[in-house]
Amino acid sequence: MTEMITQVPPPAAGATRLPLAGTDHSPQQYLTFLLGGEMFAVGILNVKEIIEYGIVTRIPMTPPFIRGVINLRGSVVPIVDLASRFGKPPSKVSRRTCIVIIEVNEGEERHDLGIIVDAVSEALEIPSSEIEPPPTFGANIRSDFITGMGKVNGRFVIILNVDQVLSVEEISLLSQMAASGTTPEAGTEAGAS
Amino acid sequence: MPESQRITLQEDLTIYHAQEQKMLLLETLAQADAVELDLSQVSEMDTAGLQLLILLKREAQKAGKKATIAAHSQAVRSVIDFCNLAAYLGDPLVIPAQETH
Amino acid sequence: MDELTSVFVQESREQLADMEAGLLRLEQDPNDADNINAIFRAAHTIKGASGVIECGFIEAFTHKVENLLDKLRNGEITVSANLATLLLGCCDHMGRLIDVLEAAQAEPPADIAAQGEDLTRQLAAYLNPEAAPPPVTEDPGQVPVVEQESPVEVSGGGVVITDGWHISVRFGPNVLRGGMDPLSFLRYLASLGEILDMETLPDAMPDADEMDPESCYLGFEIHFQTRASKADIERVFDFVRDECELRILPPSSKLSEYLQLIEELPEDSMRLGEILVRCGALTQAELEEGLRLQQESRLGRAEDSKTPPAQLGEILVEQKVVQKNLVDAAVDKQAQVSEKKARESRMIRVQADKLDKLIDLVGELVISGASTNLLATRSGQTELVEATSILSRLVEDIRNSALQLRMVQIGETFNRFHRVVRDVAKELGKNIELQISGGETELDKSVVEKIGDPLMHLVRNALDHGIEPASVRAAAGKPVQGHVALNAYHDSGSIVIEVSDDGGGLKKERILAKAIEKGLVQPGQNLSDQEIVNLIFEPGFSTMEKVSNLSGRGVGMDVVRRNIQSLRGTVDVTTQEGRGSTFTIRLPLTLAIIDGFLVGVDKSAYIIPLDTVVECIELKDQPDNQHYLNLRGEVLPFVRLRDTFGIKGADPVRENVVVVQYAGQKAGIVVDQLMGEFQTVIKPLGDIFKHLRGIGGSTILGSGEVALILDVQALVQRCAAAEENRMRNINRLLSTSPN
Repeated sequence: MTEMITQVPPPAAGATRLPLAGTDHSPQQYLTFLLGGEMFAVGILNVKEIIEYGIVTRIPMTPPFIRGVINLRGSVVPIVDLASRFGKPPSKVSRRTCIVIIEVNEGEERHDLGIIVDAVSEALEIPSSEIEPPPTFGANIRSDFITGMGKVNGRFVIILNVDQVLSVEEISLLSQMAASGTTPEAGTEAGAS
Repeated sequence: MPESQRITLQEDLTIYHAQEQKMLLLETLAQADAVELDLSQVSEMDTAGLQLLILLKREAQKAGKKATIAAHSQAVRSVIDFCNLAAYLGDPLVIPAQETH
Repeated sequence: MDELTSVFVQESREQLADMEAGLLRLEQDPNDADNINAIFRAAHTIKGASGVIECGFIEAFTHKVENLLDKLRNGEITVSANLATLLLGCCDHMGRLIDVLEAAQAEPPADIAAQGEDLTRQLAAYLNPEAAPPPVTEDPGQVPVVEQESPVEVSGGGVVITDGWHISVRFGPNVLRGGMDPLSFLRYLASLGEILDMETLPDAMPDADEMDPESCYLGFEIHFQTRASKADIERVFDFVRDECELRILPPSSKLSEYLQLIEELPEDSMRLGEILVRCGALTQAELEEGLRLQQESRLGRAEDSKTPPAQLGEILVEQKVVQKNLVDAAVDKQAQVSEKKARESRMIRVQADKLDKLIDLVGELVISGASTNLLATRSGQTELVEATSILSRLVEDIRNSALQLRMVQIGETFNRFHRVVRDVAKELGKNIELQISGGETELDKSVVEKIGDPLMHLVRNALDHGIEPASVRAAAGKPVQGHVALNAYHDSGSIVIEVSDDGGGLKKERILAKAIEKGLVQPGQNLSDQEIVNLIFEPGFSTMEKVSNLSGRGVGMDVVRRNIQSLRGTVDVTTQEGRGSTFTIRLPLTLAIIDGFLVGVDKSAYIIPLDTVVECIELKDQPDNQHYLNLRGEVLPFVRLRDTFGIKGADPVRENVVVVQYAGQKAGIVVDQLMGEFQTVIKPLGDIFKHLRGIGGSTILGSGEVALILDVQALVQRCAAAEENRMRNINRLLSTSPN
């Protein structure tokens, strides 16, 4: 019975709990990747492509978790350092570092964003029955970032709610705060030099 | 002067023959009191041809003579019809039976 | 929606805009006959076109409007404020009907239909008094047929009751020799509709001796019924256009137009008149009436010029004399018309998205051109470098031409506001004049499209809140009539649009009080006047206690600013209490590609818009703590990008200053390297960075790397604000600290 409830959260009572990822209730495909030694997953429908880590142009006056932007075949795509976004030390670039381009829906609009991951693992299917609700604490990540905990080979992978993690609205707000916060700082810096 | 001269045009009433046809028609008119035109062999008529018919009719009227179209081909009839000149040219248009309704 | 309908929708909207503009002028100058004719033509065109696309509801309503306009044109009714309002209302309604068509609805919804009925009733009120018994002074001898329709005026003439076109064509002598047969053109014409009647006119044919059988002498008067447009009919005769005289009268043309036709044609007037009657273009009564009127007008003219009245016979003789001139005039006129048509036909309509696609491609071309250039330079092959430099010059030309395609004048956008000002002023009971200048200033179409709403808001605001009521103005010793002005001009790569009013100006105390009340600022916070004024752009700010139905639409100045910022533009306000306010909008000329100046700081590259760059100088012997330099005796404040952007890395060997000018202010931007001009395809940075001030966008370099485009004004302002902040803090410290 408990499984039934976790599987299909009743819409009326769903206010306390975030609905499961996507609109699809059947077993879903996920892309798993490593970040800071932990395994994460995102719904494969959100993933547009995976590219090698290349030249990232830094954007000044933005919070540290925004690495910058890249040129993706003529489009300028922002790159988010996922580890920083989770409040952990920023990712170190290694040979296996990748950028996963993810499509985020925000209302009517769609945005492409890249996330930096330490290594891409595999694409796999996790049936809904193998997904537990996110823990209220202990994951060391804001609980609204997590859709659920998938069980894969006896290990948990954290299934991310990308629309929340990469919320354009929230990121732009944070950028704005960062920009206005640094204003006096920039002034003093300029004065000190 | 013969009373009536009948001409049967073999060539099409088009600009290609307009010069000689004009000569022919006017000369015939000059030689007779009345001209009967048989156009049943004319498989094509253009504006130049139409003008010749109008010219012949007008010259005949001026001279107090008669010019009539005795026989039409389908092509001639359709042009005269289209230009609404049947009354002006004053000739009975022979309508083939199968086309009357 | 099929293409025909979409063309109709677009063209009708243009006609409606013309019509509206004409109606607004009508109020100013009720006697401008050209203007009235233009209004009539616009309505007539819409009606005709709606018939072609078989949109009954537009055709029916427009027909009624056209009837009224026709009376106006004939001077049967005079212009009044109410009439203008009614016609403007009709104009709006036609716009709504076009919307209905565009939405692919078969019928207007009930509310629109009801509005239409209401307008129809009002139109009828103007149309019907004319049907009332004529005044006693009216000539009793008038022909009833014509009188029924409307009393014929010498100048205009009633509408001829006919449902067909009248086409009058005279083929020139060389047509046959040119290998063309008039009959085949006429047969083709017949395929466009139905020839109700056709009369062949051989009158031009000379006597037998002179008659050249290879010349064409025939003319035709054709009564024609069709759904085709006048242009379609004209197209039938395209091949013989230079070789024939073609006159086309649309259905329901005026009697006077038929008379003119008769006069212009080479044949005898009486005979032509009969032919027109015969082929059904005119009724006998109409012809007689027309000839009588023609005669009367001649008599009238004769009397005016104090010459004895002419007899009918004389008129006809005289007419033959003047005929040549008339024909010449007609030919001249026709030549002018066809020339104008030719000019018009040189304009082509292009769908905006096709153009956008082209601009995108040109953008890609520019980027890949840059990378080719880079590779060529690296290869060191002189010939390759030369070839690519020619190529890039061509690409630059293509870029400029492509961008030019999208440039439109802002005047059209401005002109829309005549109506707004008129209506709103009326509603508010204020006397306000709109002044427009700089309408010929060009900017990118995509910018024009998006600037309409912010402008509308600013103008409405000026009308509603800016201009004071007449009594207040009078008391303040100002002219009772208020002025709102729209102005546009180019300034260093931007277009500047100003919305100004001579009203009461912004009241700083009220703004401040309101801002404190709304919690936007803390009481006691030290703000400059400009900062206070700028509070109006903060979200959720509105100074008026009473929300009027004009501005109370839930959007405020914050929306205006956001819209403008999304176009990479800025909006500022200057105000003087009691004297008025000016809102200044600065927008980039284009959203696609700019000329940039590439600079480098450490390993990063940045683009400074080239049109803001004045000069570049080397920065030497500069004291570390001083942020201004001496530019030939001028004090030039500067911004060090390295510091502002927090770029780490080793200190450069040498530094350069790019001197920029923006909105009349000069500043320096200190960078490491100067890398020269660069054609910059603007790539938006996306919503994440929408709050970022100082960076206007990004572009892709030849190497494939992304470089940031500096927003010079925002950057300088940012640094100025930061410094001001710091100074204020220091002052506060100084003033509070005990000596």
